Parts: sequence; C-alpha cells; structure tokens
Amino acid sequence: MTQQPLIQVKNLDLYFGAFHALKNVSVDFNAGELIGLVGDNGAGKTTLIRVLCGIHPPTKGEVFFDGKKVEKFHPKLAIDQGIETIQQSVGLCDNLSIARNFYLGREPVKRILGIPFLDFAKMREKSSRVIRQFGLRENVSADDEVERLSGGERQSVKIGRAVEFKNRVVIMDEPTNHLSVREREHVNELAVQLKEQGLLVIYITHDIFQVHKLADRIVIMENGEKVADASTDSISAEALEDVIRQGGRLVEKQEAV
Amino acid sequence: MKYLVRSQGFGATVGVIAMLAVFTVIDFSGWWTVQTLSNVTQFTAILALVALGQALVIMTKEIDLSVGSIYGLTGVAFITLEPSLGVPGSLVVALGIAAAAGFLQGTAVVKGELPSMIVTLGGLFAARGIIYVWTGGSVHNFSPDARTHALTRLLGGELFGIAAAIYWVGIISVLLSIMLWGTRFGNRLLATGGSRESAESRGVRTDRIKTAAFVLCSLLAGFAGILTLCNQPQTHVTLGENMELEAISAAVIGGCLLTGGRGSILGVILGALIVVGFRYELIALGAPSSWYITFVGAVLIVAVIFNQKLARFIGHSV
Repeated sequence: MTQQPLIQVKNLDLYFGAFHALKNVSVDFNAGELIGLVGDNGAGKTTLIRVLCGIHPPTKGEVFFDGKKVEKFHPKLAIDQGIETIQQSVGLCDNLSIARNFYLGREPVKRILGIPFLDFAKMREKSSRVIRQFGLRENVSADDEVERLSGGERQSVKIGRAVEFKNRVVIMDEPTNHLSVREREHVNELAVQLKEQGLLVIYITHDIFQVHKLADRIVIMENGEKVADASTDSISAEALEDVIRQGGRLVEKQEAV
Repeated sequence: MKYLVRSQGFGATVGVIAMLAVFTVIDFSGWWTVQTLSNVTQFTAILALVALGQALVIMTKEIDLSVGSIYGLTGVAFITLEPSLGVPGSLVVALGIAAAAGFLQGTAVVKGELPSMIVTLGGLFAARGIIYVWTGGSVHNFSPDARTHALTRLLGGELFGIAAAIYWVGIISVLLSIMLWGTRFGNRLLATGGSRESAESRGVRTDRIKTAAFVLCSLLAGFAGILTLCNQPQTHVTLGENMELEAISAAVIGGCLLTGGRGSILGVILGALIVVGFRYELIALGAPSSWYITFVGAVLIVAVIFNQKLARFIGHSV
C-alpha cells in the first residue's frame, strides 16, 4: 500500500517499573486493513493496544496517528480520535440499559430551559436500529439492561456502537472468547464488514488459524517484541504457528537465565 | 407492577407498609396523631437528606462514613460564624466548609486510590475533633435577631403546619432524581458504580464523578445540619453523632446496593422513614433508647438480605 499508514508505531519501548513490557516495537497499521495481532499470554499484544488506546503512555518511541505525532495519551483522547476498543469483559455496564450504554460518554442531550437533559428518544431510536441490524433477539429492547444479553449480543452491541460512531479504528481484543460457534462466526463477519467499510481493524487473538482466514496481515508479538509481520497471502497459518512455537521456547530460555 | 418490583425501592415500600400496619395494630403512642406524624416526618426529612447524599456515594461503589460529623461541623460553623457574618454569610461559608470536606475526602479516595471506608473514617474523627476544639465543648445559640431572620425561617420554619425540612427534601429529591436519571452526569455516575473499568473505557472521568458524589454528599449532610439548627438553633458537640450509621442504613434499606450502580431516591426516603419510625416508636414504647441502635441493626440486616434476594430474583448479578 502506498498510502500513509493510519497508525504508525515507531521504536516503541514501554517499561512498567523495571519490567520491559515492549521492546523497540515498530508497526504500521493501514486504514481498510484487518490485522491479526497474535501472541501468547504476556507477549505484549494487549500492552501494545493499550498504548494505542491511550491507557499507557510509552516510555520511549513515537506513535503517529494520521501522520501527526501523538503527544498526549489518554483514553478519552483516543476515543475522540475515533479509536474504539472492544474488549471481552469491559465496555458495557450491566446495570444500565442498552441505550444508556450505547451512548455512555457521549450522551446526546436536548436542552429544556437551557438545561441539557438526556435525549432519550434519540438514544432509544438509534440504539434500537443498531441492535436489530446486528442481530439481537427480537424480544430485546433498547431499554433492557445489558445484563440480559448473551456474550455474543454484548459483542454485537459494542461493535454496533463502533460502527455508529463512525470510528476509524476498531481494536477487537479476543472478541470471540466464550462465544458459541454461531456467535463467533457472526462476530467475525462483523469484523470483515468493518474493514470493508474502510476502517482499520486490529484483531487480537490466540487463534492463529481463525484469524489467518480473516486478516490481511498478521503481526506476531513475543516477549515484548515483534517477531513476525507478514501478509496472509505470503505465509501459511502453519508456518506462523511455528514462529510462535519457537518464540515460546525462547521465552522459557530467557526466564531460566 | 413489574416496574414496581424491578425498581430498587420495592423493598423499602414493602417495609414501610409493614411498619405502618404493625404500628397501627400495636399502637403504643398514638402513631396516627398529628404530633407523632409531624415529628416523625420532620426527623425523616433531615435523615433523608443525609441518606440521599450517602446514596449517591454508594451508587458510585464507595461509602462515606463522615456524614454525621460533617452534619455537625456544618451546623456548628453556621451557628458560631453567624455573629460575624450574618445568617446568609454564615450559611454560605458553612456549606463551603462542607463542600471542601467532601472534596478533600473524594480527592484522597480517587487520587490516592484509597478505600473510601478508611478515608472517610478519618474524616469522621477529624471533623468531630474540629467540633470539640471549635466549640470547646460549650453550647452555642442563635441571637434572637438571627432566629427571626427570613432565611432562618425559610430553612427552619413551617408552612401550613408542615416543617420546612419536608419541603426541602421534596424539592431536593425531585432535583436529584432528574439529575440521576435524566442527565449526562447521572448516567455516568451510575456507570461508574456499575463498572468503573467500562465507564473509563468510554472516556468517562470516573475520578471526577466520584469526587463530585463526595462533594454532593457532604453538601447534603451539611445542609441537613443547617436545616436542623434553623429549626432548633442550639449546637452541642454530639450533633450528628451516629448519623452516618442511620444514613447508611436508610440508603441500604432503601435499596442502594453496596455493589454500586443501583439505587432509588424514593426508596432512600422510605428507608429513612423506617429508621426514624422505629426510633420514635421504641422510645414511645418506653424501651431504653439504646435498644434502638440494636433494632436498626436488625432491620438493616433483614433489609440487606431481602434486597439482595430480590435483586437476584429479578436477575441482577449481585
């Protein structure tokens, strides 16, 4: 691709105290790409994502978004820039309705006597439309608490939210864990849909075979380093799995030292 | 009916109906008399204000043990500053002290990432200590002029035979309901209590929300203290002692779950009515007043069990 990358990570280092969590990581992420980010537990993939969504400021190195250097790291700023993270266990408040969750943090308001009140009509209407589009049960309404939803439905609400707010980047952190086969397929379809709409989709998973089918490119992290970055056309899932296996051995050796 | 059962105030509604039925049948003191009802409703209004603030904090999944001391400190400040500042001036300064106390404690909780139970326990002792030092243990009174000041009467007088505090709790509970269910702040407050991590992932500044809840809680406790003293302008060092326990009880009986994110404004007011009703009836019964604390404790435990069972029955994950 000749265009400028949407997100460019350059020589990123991150320390938690003495722990070197990310080691000189450089990756380009392009709009309209579905990138599989793969690695074992503790490989640094989630840490890298947490830098991108503003939770951890890097110790060293640079992040460029849309060609501009990112100076301040804060979750709110990342959201304002259109970077949306979809995590398995985080993102929805069980005690609130779907409509309230949908707009949490950017609630639409209607002014009555100058006082901004929540615009319930708008919240309900838009979130209802989205939950239908993303295949929630017929008897679920926008006023129902999120608590009632199944795991797949929760993911659908989060993905629907990402689409509705015209995000540019959607990061999916293990989006299909604990989902039934059909729900998993549904979520994967949605990921491809997002990419086809021109968004950058970063798909984090352990399952190299699953993501190899979806992704344009696979980035493998191991022990805080990027150990592979290849397009799915150029390398098979089996070959990539070997890379991870070798990496796994490397980690054990280092821990023994 | 479904809505009623689902609302967090359901337990307290059942409790109030049961309490009124019992007090009607076993009527020691003439429960349904103007005298009793006006006393009970006035005490309820004062406790409800403190408990409403407490409820806001509990809904963010924190707790504020300092409300009783803040109630006392604000009241003492209001009375003792009046000679130099006048009634309106001392009202503003006293509420300012309450807000500052809430802000300090809230900031310590969110910035220091400390358990609110410990921070506000410190606040409880610190504020009570200031009351002792400030008053030197002596009783302070309003001057006759201050007693008849329009503002004093507005806060402590009565209209159509109903105490001012009752009007105030009515106004404030409506405002709080609107704030909680109808504004951005309310949505984010409930989200903070429901799942702080999720709220933050949506860009909600949960630290600010929690601090604001502590400030509102202290302001309401302080305002309740001022209302009490406008009605009976005399301070003593024990003003508001044990009130934190009553306020937490009222909030919990009223359906605020300590797991955060759920509560009911009406439920809290009914919870306060139950606490005050029991206190009044036990005293009327001639029981030693100390038994009342035991009773509140028993009612609290029953209420927590009931509300939790109810929440599970409805299908909440608590």
